[in-house]
Amino acid sequence: MQDMDISSPAAFVNGGLLRMHVGRKVRTVLQVTRSDIGSVMGRSTDGCQLVAKGSPPVPLTSYVEVIGVAENENTIRAELWTNFGDTFDASNYDKLCQLANGELKHLFL
Amino acid sequence: MEVNLTAGAVSRIISREVSTERDLKPLLQVIELKEVQTTSKNPQQQQEPRKSERYRLLLSDGSLTQQGMLATSKNELVKSSKLQVGSVVQLTQYLCNVIQDRMIVIIIELEVIVNKYDIIGKPVAAPRSSRLTQVPTDQPGAVMPQANSLGGSSVGGIMSDKLNTAGATLQQPTMNHWQGSSRLNESEQIRNPSANAPTFYPKTDPSAGFPGSSPTNRPFGVQSTGFNNTRPAASRPQSTSNFQSIPSYQQPSPMYSNRGAVSKNEAPPRIIPISALNPYQGRWTIKARVTAKGELRRYNNARGEGKVFSFDLLDSDGGEIRVTCFNAVVDQFYNQIEAGKIYLISRGSLKPAQKAFNHLNNEHEIFLDSTSTVQPCYEDDNRIPRQQFNFRTITDIEGMENNTMVDIIGVVSFISPAASIMRKNGMETQKRTLHLRDMSGRSVELTLWGSFCNAEGQKLQSLCDSGEFPVLAVKAGRVSEFNGKAVGSISTTQLFIDPDFPEAHRLKEWFVSTGRNTPAVSISRETSTVSRADDRKTLSQIKDEKLGTSEKPDWITVVARIAYIKLDNFCYTACPIMNGDRQCNKKVTNNGDGKWWCDKCDKAVDECDYRYIIQFQIHDHTGIIWVTAFQESGQDLMGVSAKDLYNLRYENQDDEKFMEITRQVMFNKYMFKLKVKEEIFSDEQRVKSTVVKVEKVNFSSDSRHLLDLIEKIKTNDLGPSASKAEFTTPNPGPDYAGVGIHGSRGIAPTASREYGLPVNQGGQYGNHYSGSRLRESAPSIDIFCNSCGVTGHSSTNCPTIMNGPLQSVGRDYSDRMYSGASVGRGSGTDFSSGGYGGIPSQQGIGLGCHELLV
Repeated sequence: MQDMDISSPAAFVNGGLLRMHVGRKVRTVLQVTRSDIGSVMGRSTDGCQLVAKGSPPVPLTSYVEVIGVAENENTIRAELWTNFGDTFDASNYDKLCQLANGELKHLFL
Repeated sequence: MEVNLTAGAVSRIISREVSTERDLKPLLQVIELKEVQTTSKNPQQQQEPRKSERYRLLLSDGSLTQQGMLATSKNELVKSSKLQVGSVVQLTQYLCNVIQDRMIVIIIELEVIVNKYDIIGKPVAAPRSSRLTQVPTDQPGAVMPQANSLGGSSVGGIMSDKLNTAGATLQQPTMNHWQGSSRLNESEQIRNPSANAPTFYPKTDPSAGFPGSSPTNRPFGVQSTGFNNTRPAASRPQSTSNFQSIPSYQQPSPMYSNRGAVSKNEAPPRIIPISALNPYQGRWTIKARVTAKGELRRYNNARGEGKVFSFDLLDSDGGEIRVTCFNAVVDQFYNQIEAGKIYLISRGSLKPAQKAFNHLNNEHEIFLDSTSTVQPCYEDDNRIPRQQFNFRTITDIEGMENNTMVDIIGVVSFISPAASIMRKNGMETQKRTLHLRDMSGRSVELTLWGSFCNAEGQKLQSLCDSGEFPVLAVKAGRVSEFNGKAVGSISTTQLFIDPDFPEAHRLKEWFVSTGRNTPAVSISRETSTVSRADDRKTLSQIKDEKLGTSEKPDWITVVARIAYIKLDNFCYTACPIMNGDRQCNKKVTNNGDGKWWCDKCDKAVDECDYRYIIQFQIHDHTGIIWVTAFQESGQDLMGVSAKDLYNLRYENQDDEKFMEITRQVMFNKYMFKLKVKEEIFSDEQRVKSTVVKVEKVNFSSDSRHLLDLIEKIKTNDLGPSASKAEFTTPNPGPDYAGVGIHGSRGIAPTASREYGLPVNQGGQYGNHYSGSRLRESAPSIDIFCNSCGVTGHSSTNCPTIMNGPLQSVGRDYSDRMYSGASVGRGSGTDFSSGGYGGIPSQQGIGLGCHELLV
């Protein structure tokens, strides 16, 4: 596992917002659609298919939060994985992402 | 080959000289052969009428014909054509029955002597009545001896004349021969009390096959006096026709029931319109559709337990009537009856309708009993409408009296989420309010109670949330005078969402074209002083808004954490004596001798009950208050019964376990429903809050609530609207089914109370809304977006941020000035009125955003 600097805050993103933070630290919750060695494919809270590279925890629950660096507009190099369980309110999270990147950005970053 | 039929067999059969094969095994010829469909109605099993194929034959002895029914076991003979018209048969096992004035021979076993043969002789129909031994004129000789032997049977002959002419009195027949038939009389009379008529005038037509048909004269049982002495003259009136009274549906006499194959009258019942039903009518049959099927209810009365269920019928003439079944009859019919299906019902009894419960337009009600018949009609009759409405306009409701039943149809302009309401008897029930509008330009508040909230209520909510304005038809709603006129649902109310009626279509068209934008006058006054149970407040609002100080207590919901529980006296000793169905619960004092004395009941009890009375502090981001929880909520909170906890602490001295339980409870976030009321406490006025309900916070819905608040605050920028805030949450996208629907809704114009944090508290964002509600719509051109650096919009509606299809359904009719201006969010989405209208000027913000920072 690479040593990563987690001191700066990660921006809450969903699929659409990821592109605004390419190269920066982001965090998002994905609904796992496929899990391979070295990467996990998941659906973001706004319906985009994203890839999280890294080693997911075993066992993996349906929803997982990944914190890492955005490689491009649909890939995250994840360092931190957190199982969020099998039930999750995606719409609330999505709204959070929107608020956190919108006019309330200054509250978060 | 020469075949000789048994001459005179038929007349002997008719005269009852011959009744079974023990008397005679006649050779007869089949003159007619017909298949009939019978529905055997065995009184024991009225559930499903069995349809079976049976063959009816007309048998001849060369001169007279006689009806017979072939036992189904012999059907094969007919099918294989061994038995056909012209066959000569010998009856080897049979019975003779009189059914409805006619003699029928039930053939159990027969032998086919000749398959086919020319018809022998010129047989004519034998007279119909069993009593009648009419003689065909061509054989007078044969008759006479028979007449003599029958003795009294001749009376019947004469009787026919008399019957035709004179009024007859009912008389006990003196002849033995008549015993059978007379018994039949009596038995019928006894047997059909439900017909409610001492003499019945049956309505059924004689079935086609039976010979002759005659105008009805007399009921069966009537006989005249004075015949004993007369002897038949040589010529008896030939009129076979005029004796026969129209057959009423008579059960075979008791001696024949349950014995052998019985043929019944298969005459199709005459269907009468429901509006013609009356208790003085004999047999009736109605064909109607079930418009409503009631629930199975159990009850207890002086006679013990019982169960009852009712259903409503509608027929093609528009007549409606309710049908009720009790106890065993319920079992018989409950599963059979399905709403929307058509049934043929007969043999029920009619009684006056109970207007208190029965709101149908009929003076009578039908009560079914075990002899009633319910027959489903498999072909749908489109003449019978599915449901009949008598829609009134909403303006009409204004003039209606309290408690009148009404059918209305309107467009749903607003619906609130389901709220739990405490009823007077302590029971909780669900309630939803919605507003209906119609073309009269008025709107009325409709309250849905109980199960309607979840079923139809939820559906309506989803429809409204997604931007539709569903049409709702209500059948049997009750007008109430609560705050102007309103309509409420009762147990027999029926709701139809977006029905396929012409009125519904008209309404929809009207709404889409004009109605949407015309303001509606509400005939239900908004109750601004009564706060609904699901009012979300912060703790500081209790003080700020002076909750509890008015006459009635205020019911609010707060989300807070438990800061401290006073554990010294978390319960008290309560009186367990039952006062009716409630426990006394007054505090009992220790007598000293191990017993507990209750003041109220004036008794001592050995064992006292322990009931919770927990005082604890709760806090949220705005403040901290003391609340009290009593038994039910205390138990919900602590998770154990008061008695157990008491024992744990004091009897068992298990402090560790006790602390463990307590610790689990402390500092958790709960959703409390509080009853806030000011009380005078020895010269001091204190506002006391009682915990009525406590539950763990559902984070998902709580988040949604907060997000909602945030939205409101944001859109407050864009100007609130004057009237009701009907709105929904933006739907983030099609993928998230079920989650996007918002829980808390229904902020009335009096929303100021909910967000009424004083302006200084909301200072973080510097938004001071000082009274002017309407802001100019910001012209799009001058705005510079911080997020993406493009002019033309602000960061709030920056297209790069707002991804999902945000559909706001602003239903603020009076706020049209914002329609079109894309102030608000969602590029390109319709935001006709600032979405979340109803935001009053004073708007505190601290709530949701504050939480985000935490």
